Amino acid sequence: MISLYVVLVPLAVALLVTLLRANRPFVQALAVLGGVATFALALFLPGSEPVDAAWLPGLGVSFALDATGAGAVLVLVAALVMIPTLLVAATRVERNAAGFVALLLLAQAGLNGIFLAKDLIVFYVFWEATLIPALLLLGVYGGERRRQATLKYLVYAVAGSFLMLVSILALKGLSGAASFHVTDLMLVTPGLAPSAQTWLFVGMAVGMVVKLPLWPLHSWLVDLNEQNHPSGAADVLGSLYKVGAFGFFAWALPLLPSGALNVAPVLLALAAITAVYGALAAVAQEHLKRFLAYGSLSHMGIIGVGLFGLHLAGLNGAIYFLAAQMVSTSALFLVAGMLWHRRRSFLLRDYGGLAKGAPALAAVSLFLIFAYIGVPGLSNFPGEFMSLLGAFQSSPLPAAFATLAVIAAGVYGVNLYQRLFQGSTTVPTRDLGALELYVLVPFIAGVLWLGVSPAPQLRQIEQQAELTVLQLERAAAADGAVTAALPAAGGAR
Amino acid sequence: MTDLVRWAALAPFLALAGAVINGLFGRSLRGNAAGVVASLAVAAGFVLSALAFLGVREVGAVRVDLGDFLVAGDFTLGLGFHLDQLSVLMMLIITGVGLLIHVYSIGYMQGDDGFSRYFAKLNLFVAAMLVLVMADSYPLMFVGWEGVGVCSFLLISFWYEDLANANAGRKAFIVNRVGDVGFLLAMFLTFRAFGTLDVQAVNAAAPGFAYGAPVLTGIGLLFLVAAAGKSAQLPLHTWLPDAMAGPTPVSALIHAATMVTAGVYLIARTGGVFANAPDAAATVVWVAVLTALMAAIVAVGQTDIKKILAWSTISQVGFMVAAVGAGAYWAGIFHVLTHAFFKALLFLGAGSVIHALGGEQDVRKMGGLGRKMRTTGVTALIGTLAIAGVPFLSGYFSKDAILGALLSSGPLGGYGAEALFGLLMVTAGLTAFYMFRWYYLVFAGEPRSKAEFERAHESPAVMTVPLVILAVGSVVIGYLGLPAFLAPNWLQGWLAPVSAEVDLAHLSTSAEWLLLLGSVAVAAIGLGLGYWVYAVGGGALARRFAATPLANASRGAFGFDALYRVLFTGPGEAGAAGIAALDRDVVDRGVSGSAGLIPLLGRLLVRLQSGYVRAYAFAMLLGAAALVLLVALIGVFA
Repeated sequence: MISLYVVLVPLAVALLVTLLRANRPFVQALAVLGGVATFALALFLPGSEPVDAAWLPGLGVSFALDATGAGAVLVLVAALVMIPTLLVAATRVERNAAGFVALLLLAQAGLNGIFLAKDLIVFYVFWEATLIPALLLLGVYGGERRRQATLKYLVYAVAGSFLMLVSILALKGLSGAASFHVTDLMLVTPGLAPSAQTWLFVGMAVGMVVKLPLWPLHSWLVDLNEQNHPSGAADVLGSLYKVGAFGFFAWALPLLPSGALNVAPVLLALAAITAVYGALAAVAQEHLKRFLAYGSLSHMGIIGVGLFGLHLAGLNGAIYFLAAQMVSTSALFLVAGMLWHRRRSFLLRDYGGLAKGAPALAAVSLFLIFAYIGVPGLSNFPGEFMSLLGAFQSSPLPAAFATLAVIAAGVYGVNLYQRLFQGSTTVPTRDLGALELYVLVPFIAGVLWLGVSPAPQLRQIEQQAELTVLQLERAAAADGAVTAALPAAGGAR
Repeated sequence: MTDLVRWAALAPFLALAGAVINGLFGRSLRGNAAGVVASLAVAAGFVLSALAFLGVREVGAVRVDLGDFLVAGDFTLGLGFHLDQLSVLMMLIITGVGLLIHVYSIGYMQGDDGFSRYFAKLNLFVAAMLVLVMADSYPLMFVGWEGVGVCSFLLISFWYEDLANANAGRKAFIVNRVGDVGFLLAMFLTFRAFGTLDVQAVNAAAPGFAYGAPVLTGIGLLFLVAAAGKSAQLPLHTWLPDAMAGPTPVSALIHAATMVTAGVYLIARTGGVFANAPDAAATVVWVAVLTALMAAIVAVGQTDIKKILAWSTISQVGFMVAAVGAGAYWAGIFHVLTHAFFKALLFLGAGSVIHALGGEQDVRKMGGLGRKMRTTGVTALIGTLAIAGVPFLSGYFSKDAILGALLSSGPLGGYGAEALFGLLMVTAGLTAFYMFRWYYLVFAGEPRSKAEFERAHESPAVMTVPLVILAVGSVVIGYLGLPAFLAPNWLQGWLAPVSAEVDLAHLSTSAEWLLLLGSVAVAAIGLGLGYWVYAVGGGALARRFAATPLANASRGAFGFDALYRVLFTGPGEAGAAGIAALDRDVVDRGVSGSAGLIPLLGRLLVRLQSGYVRAYAFAMLLGAAALVLLVALIGVFA
């Protein structure tokens, strides 16, 4: 039942916050309480009872949630990130902070639904429903050009999901599956003709690539981050809501393995391009949030490389990276918010020399930047390493190309630190306040935890990844034309 | 005994603890407390390393398990330390020389605003460097590998308010990352070929491949890229001279004694692969020898007291890399050891001078300082003679071992071993030449700047005692590796169990004697020429040569920086700007615009006030739900 509670608790606290119309301290308390409660529940997700309630039996839809596999990891890390983020939102949003907090909690409920759903329609409903709070956060609380940004986000998301929905429905229709439950689907969908699988896979892939995002369908991301609320709290949601990779991992790849084998090389190439493209674009950014958006785009490219290499180590690594990037990316967006709070600007040229007046802020930021660019020992490294290592085993050239992003990451990482904190300045800067310290400590802990001890979470993820690899192996074996990909999909050895 | 070795696993954690204490609470520590805490952390590491050394002597290699790290199917990567003859020796160098430099730093950094910050970073470096040499797998080694790069960045840009220092740190980090990509790709390829990333397992399995198999050559060349980045070899050497922007003890510890030798260690540790990949090994030696020669030429033309030493370091590391490339692992590590002493000594001596002159680093304004700074002057002279290859001092023995290795290396046969030997001999002579210049311009002759000379004073004991200890080491440490035909060679025997098997021919006794005498002759010629050029007639000859093309090339370091600006930095920045512009103007507009949806919905939205966004979103949810229902119904009834 815990799978259900991690969806219901944030939902309930969201309603409570909205309905009570309380003053700020109360909102702050409720926000943190909701965050902590969800996190505490998430700790007990692994091994918890699955939920399977009839919903629309006539349509073969059941409300099925299960924490076995990667979902538990993603819910847990997202819950960790949400605690300080909710505190920031409740404190730093000037007008209607309660609404902001409620939207964040709604989104968290939706995200948890996405990560835990075992019914494809339930997955889709959560996938779409989470878009609403994300859009509202941007549309209501965003910056000057929020309308254009909201519109762009909406168009990309809706256009993508429409094709995905068509594929989902056709999937059951064509395969004759008993229901939309993953186990029913998995029995029959891999038996579909490879050509049919390819088309269905492409349909699903469009929606997921937009959300991942991969080049060239990523423009919404940069505008979204730039225009979101300056506190950075909404951008945190943005970094959690990059669910495209998870969609591929949990649904598209295992359900349509023959289609995946056919389409993956194209997606792998796009992902490798995205990794390098994002990192290079980040080097030239002047706006702090756009900077972080492109850096994240590069991370998403590496995640894509891990996924579409179709190798067990890469799949494990990609999902681990997906969880880990939530921490460092979110933290840096919140740091951006703290900087904005001091100088009312996101332009790098307005900064420099802050380390003198704010040594603690500088030290924490540098730590987070190093995590962000994948320095080993910190959170992003294990996933990044395994993504590239795995993909290299099956497709050395795209993986080696994507590895070049590591150099560009070094460039933008130290550039960012230098332009914010090094050099000299005459403008005085406050160092970290108590609230900011409370906000950043969970992130520091998260960066160390995910960087030093990835094995337990990797084992969780692997329960699911092995199934995907098995499906790919079977498809490759059945489909003589693509046996070349067999060693790729084989075990790590 | 095994337990005695296992305790050494604590060493990096002690240094890390020192870093955390100084990092978090350093500002509330009074006086020298930060420096004392940091020094104690390293001292404890030294004691543990020494005990481990004794233990390894009895029981051989010991593995310390630290738990699982990465998991994927059959592949499990555990973290662990592999403590054997090689890693324990490296630990002793790191913590031993590290301790002296920590103590020295207490004097050198006295009164600096960032006193505790400095020691936090220095301790963090020691922790990372220890992890690098103790790691039993390549990924864990990479943790230390990038860790030392990070610390190097932190310490080069220590005085970050001056953007020149910040830029130097940035450059070091970025160039190192190029090397790191080589390391990553080498790991990926290793895993593809061997199915494991365990260092011992890879070395054990490497002979199973055909001699000279392309995959081994590939792995070797990629590890060479990694080594070139960290050890400042061609073409990735450009960051090291700039790294002198950091505090001088940092230059001594990181950019002379330890971190820059990581590439040497990597190749020695991966000996199994290189011993079976002659193409890669020969490439390593050629790169190293050309680096050594190039850097020695550049060292002659520099005027900054530290930059001369920096170029000298690049050159000397070239000697070490050449040795391990030729398969003479013990000779490479021997030179790591002797160089750690005499180069740390020279840097700390330079630091003592800079300290005495209130920051002056231009050797043209020095001269005669040996008279006012007796201890510094005498110890610097010992260091100079040791690196120059004067007989019976440490550098003489280790350099001789390397030169001999080039002649006797089987794998180098057919790759121009004689030419390599000749070039390295010339480099050895140049070393004596530029080091004479360095010593003479700083400590001997007449003072060229009266004001600076007046200001000079000997440094406090906390700085000179480490100098004396290092000077003693620079004299005696060479006796650990005496030429085997004369006396027992302890070091070669010590490292034999962990050295990959390489065909090293036995030189005849007469050849050995010729080599020893040749080394002496080369050192003598170098020093003599130095005297003739820089001392006779107040350096009249040096002035006459100053405008020659070679002198210009030397001063300008062969123009690598300018070349890289044209080749990489410029195009890189332009490329990044181009991609950013492309993304804004083409990709965004193209994808968003071509759908025709944005303008359409844009017009729709104009009619909606922002308050309606909620209603709009709700309508969307309803729409989606309706769509689900509709298509599902079709599914049911069709």
